[in-house]
Amino acid sequence: MLNIWRISWRNITHNKKRFFFTLFAIILGTSFITAMLVADRTTRDVFNYYTDMYVANADYWVLSDKHTYPEKMIEPVQDDPDVTNMLLVLQKQAFFELEDDHSLSQRSVRIIGVSDQNSPLLVLPVIEGSLDNKGVILPKTVATLLGKKVGDTVRFEGLGEAKVSAIVEYTQLLASPSDWDSAESTSFRVLVPLDMLREWTGKHDEISYMRFQVNGDGKDLFHSLQQQFRGSGVFIQPVVADDLQNNDISGLYTFFYIVAGLSMLVSGFIVFNTIYTSVIERKKEFAIMKSFGYTQRSVSKLVLIEIVLLSLIGTAIGVPLGIWLGDLFMQELLSMLQFDIVYTLNWRLPAIMAVTVGVLFPVLFSLFPIYHAGRTSILLTLKMASQSKGSSRPLLIRAVVGLVLLCFVFIDHSVTYAAVLAGVILLFPLLLAGLSRIIKPVLNFLFHYAGSLAAKSLFQQINRNANTAAILGIGISVILLLGAVVESAPEGYEQEIRNTYGGDMRLTSEAPWSTEDITKLRSYDGVLGVEPLMEATPITWETVDGVSRQFSVFAVSEDGPALFADQHEEKLYNRLKQQNAVLLGERAFDEWGGEIGQSIRMNTPNGEQSYEVVGVVKTSHYSGYVAFMDEERLKEEFGWTKGFDLLLTVDNEAASSIRDRVWSDFRDHLSKVQTVEDEIESTTSTISGMNELILMLLFMIIGLASIGTANTLLMNTLERVPEIGTMRALGFTKQQVRNMIIAEGLLVGLSGVIGGIAAGLILIYVTSQSELMDGFMSFKLPYSNMIMAVISGVVLSLCAAWMASQSASKIDIQSSLKEG
Amino acid sequence: MIKVSNLTKEFLQGQERTRVLKGVDLNIKKGEFVAIMGPSGSGKSTLLQLMGGLDVPTAGDIQIDGKYLNKMSEKERTIFRRQKLGFVFQNYQLLPTLTVEENIAFPLHADGKLTKEKNRVIQELIQAVGLEGLHRKRANLLSGGQQQRVAIARALVNSPTVLLADEPTGNLDRANAEEILRLLTVFHRENRQTIVMVTHDIFAAGFADRIILFRDGGIDQVVSREEGDYAKYLANFMA
Ligand SMILES: Nc1ncnc2c1ncn2[C@@H]1O[C@H](COP(=O)(O)OP(=O)(O)O)[C@@H](O)[C@H]1O
Ligand SMILES: [Mg+2]
Repeated sequence: MLNIWRISWRNITHNKKRFFFTLFAIILGTSFITAMLVADRTTRDVFNYYTDMYVANADYWVLSDKHTYPEKMIEPVQDDPDVTNMLLVLQKQAFFELEDDHSLSQRSVRIIGVSDQNSPLLVLPVIEGSLDNKGVILPKTVATLLGKKVGDTVRFEGLGEAKVSAIVEYTQLLASPSDWDSAESTSFRVLVPLDMLREWTGKHDEISYMRFQVNGDGKDLFHSLQQQFRGSGVFIQPVVADDLQNNDISGLYTFFYIVAGLSMLVSGFIVFNTIYTSVIERKKEFAIMKSFGYTQRSVSKLVLIEIVLLSLIGTAIGVPLGIWLGDLFMQELLSMLQFDIVYTLNWRLPAIMAVTVGVLFPVLFSLFPIYHAGRTSILLTLKMASQSKGSSRPLLIRAVVGLVLLCFVFIDHSVTYAAVLAGVILLFPLLLAGLSRIIKPVLNFLFHYAGSLAAKSLFQQINRNANTAAILGIGISVILLLGAVVESAPEGYEQEIRNTYGGDMRLTSEAPWSTEDITKLRSYDGVLGVEPLMEATPITWETVDGVSRQFSVFAVSEDGPALFADQHEEKLYNRLKQQNAVLLGERAFDEWGGEIGQSIRMNTPNGEQSYEVVGVVKTSHYSGYVAFMDEERLKEEFGWTKGFDLLLTVDNEAASSIRDRVWSDFRDHLSKVQTVEDEIESTTSTISGMNELILMLLFMIIGLASIGTANTLLMNTLERVPEIGTMRALGFTKQQVRNMIIAEGLLVGLSGVIGGIAAGLILIYVTSQSELMDGFMSFKLPYSNMIMAVISGVVLSLCAAWMASQSASKIDIQSSLKEG
Repeated sequence: MIKVSNLTKEFLQGQERTRVLKGVDLNIKKGEFVAIMGPSGSGKSTLLQLMGGLDVPTAGDIQIDGKYLNKMSEKERTIFRRQKLGFVFQNYQLLPTLTVEENIAFPLHADGKLTKEKNRVIQELIQAVGLEGLHRKRANLLSGGQQQRVAIARALVNSPTVLLADEPTGNLDRANAEEILRLLTVFHRENRQTIVMVTHDIFAAGFADRIILFRDGGIDQVVSREEGDYAKYLANFMA
């Protein structure tokens, strides 16, 4: 057994350069796949980690639809023997008192008073200091921005001051802006002891909410409390680990898998090219083996072992490299998502998966050559000195099938994407032929006769060369599509936000708005309209599969602000009015998993209730992870009576002065002022950051494909050793030989780039026209990515060609002439 | 015209040094047709390749038209080859993707642009080697005899100072071999073309003015047509 492995090793390393390129392709392919799997796992972990941290050990919480409620309401909980832990929380909106000059909105801070900083219901990863229940706890970003250290004093305007007792890592409870710009529209959050905050505010018997942990599942207690609280404005909710309201990153996972799949395709294809060529080269060897009694299977097995050997080595190097790449990628990604967070790389499972994939995919892509090797006919091979040239029929068929597949462009279905890609691959020989004809004058000008020869010699292996260009093209086209989606996403989101924000400015208060407040706001210069907005939150519900989730339920009415968009809005408002029904945002609907007409179960302030889902609507609120309900029904049946938000319609010019004015007029309870522009900015900035990532990937994929180009050109060269030797004998200089190979590389690279861009534009067009995408994307040329594709495609192909040309110019004239 | 003096060539094979040419001295006059004969492995091809500048000697000089091949750079030798030398090989060595015409034109293309005048030369050569009507045919689709005729036309297209042929008839049957030899003689007689031909074939050697008998890396005997004992020496050698 050892013997056959040793023979295989000799066989694969027989041609050093080709061995190196093929191995390199497997290594890169495997490492990209690994990196993407690592990124996928790690990203999921990061979000789960922070969600779990937020939930901590709490099972239920008791909240109200007002700012605070009397502590005595929770006496039944305090008295229950099953309750093991409780955390009482009081929140107060305030302002930092700072030496530097900052506006009220920038200085606004939510002070969270907790009954015990060491409670098991709180997770606070301390960096510095200790949780002594005496001072203020700041998240690291805030400490850095304010320049505070443990022991320094923090002052809150009109309330008091306290020493910093600890600085902690990012947690959702204390999510805060990390620069003054974003502080404009979001509050800081800090933690203080409950007693201290009660002292400052005088709210000695009030709390905002309380969380508790129970022995067992606590269902009985939950139901009895639901009964007791009914109609009081106080209500109980299970604590659910669901953070989908705050992040919408499911697209990211799709992205990871597309990139991993693409890497596999490209490097698998390089493997195919090499193995296929080597099998053809060794036909004679196989024929001799068979004539000595080797079976078809044992010949195939020999080739199979060679590939397994290659992929084992490739995986052994590629996977560790991929883990390292994944780490780099995560750093880039998380800094782009603007999370100031730490992560632990989850690499074990991805590594195992990548090893499996890394060993399997080269084998998978070599199945055909392996079969082909086994089928070698003894007589035919030994008889035929040189292979007869194939006719051009298969090329024609290839082109016709390619054109037919391209017709899928007119069909709006996800199959279209696969069909277009396959069609483009099939059309590449035609493209290569056409291109070499068109740019022949250019090649002639650049490389003289060597240029003309290059175009000719490409036809010797038209299929292999076309496939090589095709794989570059496919890589480019898919990345262009990804890029276009990412690039036009901000526009799509902007549109959606403007349509469904419900106004120009949203004021959030910690206490319900009064009619006097509203009247006062209406009297402002530049304020054209003021509409109350009711958001019941958090509301827990169940998916069709019985998984607990939580989101917000907004009140809507026909004459109220437009919070969602739909073609049949009027009808939907009516249905909501007539019965206990909800509309779900698209993402909520998908996560729920049911169908229109079915009912969704929710824990409302009035206890558990079922609501019929009467429609799915587009909305920018929580990226569609919300429900909408008739305003009256939200108050009556549902049991949520207060509104903490106002939507203002304002004069654009007046926006910033209105912002300043509301902050000073409502300073004692205002917690957030956000304009529609702020919301657009914060939603789209993350997506724009993705563009850099896309460019990086474009470069990576083109680099990988260029290894394929180098490999193919090298094979072209080695097959033509006698020819190149003859050229040299007849007076071709080394430089002319190099030019010829470089021109070949240029042709392959250029046709890959051109075909790739063409295919990319087709894909983008298909996507922009697709009903499935709902006009999310408009057709625009992705200029920057196209330029990047052209430059890196041509440059990397030239590098590849240069490597192959070095081998070509080293060909020894005498020995090449001796053969044959 | 061609002056080879003390030509030595060694090959390194692994650790071993083998001396293939052992100080060869040889003069060839302009317009002379020389055949080199000798047993296989005696170094004939090596000598021809050195004379053609395809390789460099270990020691000694090769002078063609007053220029020392062994003192040229790689690039100078390449350019010298395409301007001053013509090659014919045993296995034809045509470029399979090119047509008959393109194969013949190759040395001219390598050297620069094709002129009208040069194009006329190509057409004449195609006529001369009897390949009219096959201009556009791909080289790898021709028969062996036809391929070698293309190779001769290709070797002569740049009006070389010397035509070097290594067993040009080695792969051909008698009829085709005779046709090739006839062509070589025609170019030798009519154009005073200098020819150096390596051959195994006593029949082929008979067309030459002078036969150099090669043995073990050196010249064993030289036999000239003028010396009269041509036939005797030949018979001797063969025995
Ligand atoms: N490139 C080379 N490397 C090593 N040995 C060589 C090389 N070329 C020729 N030889 C050796 O030199 C000797 C002469 O070869 P060659 O000139 O081809 O002989 P001939 O043409 O007379 O048959 C042979 O023994 C051959 O093995
Ligand atoms: Mg020889």
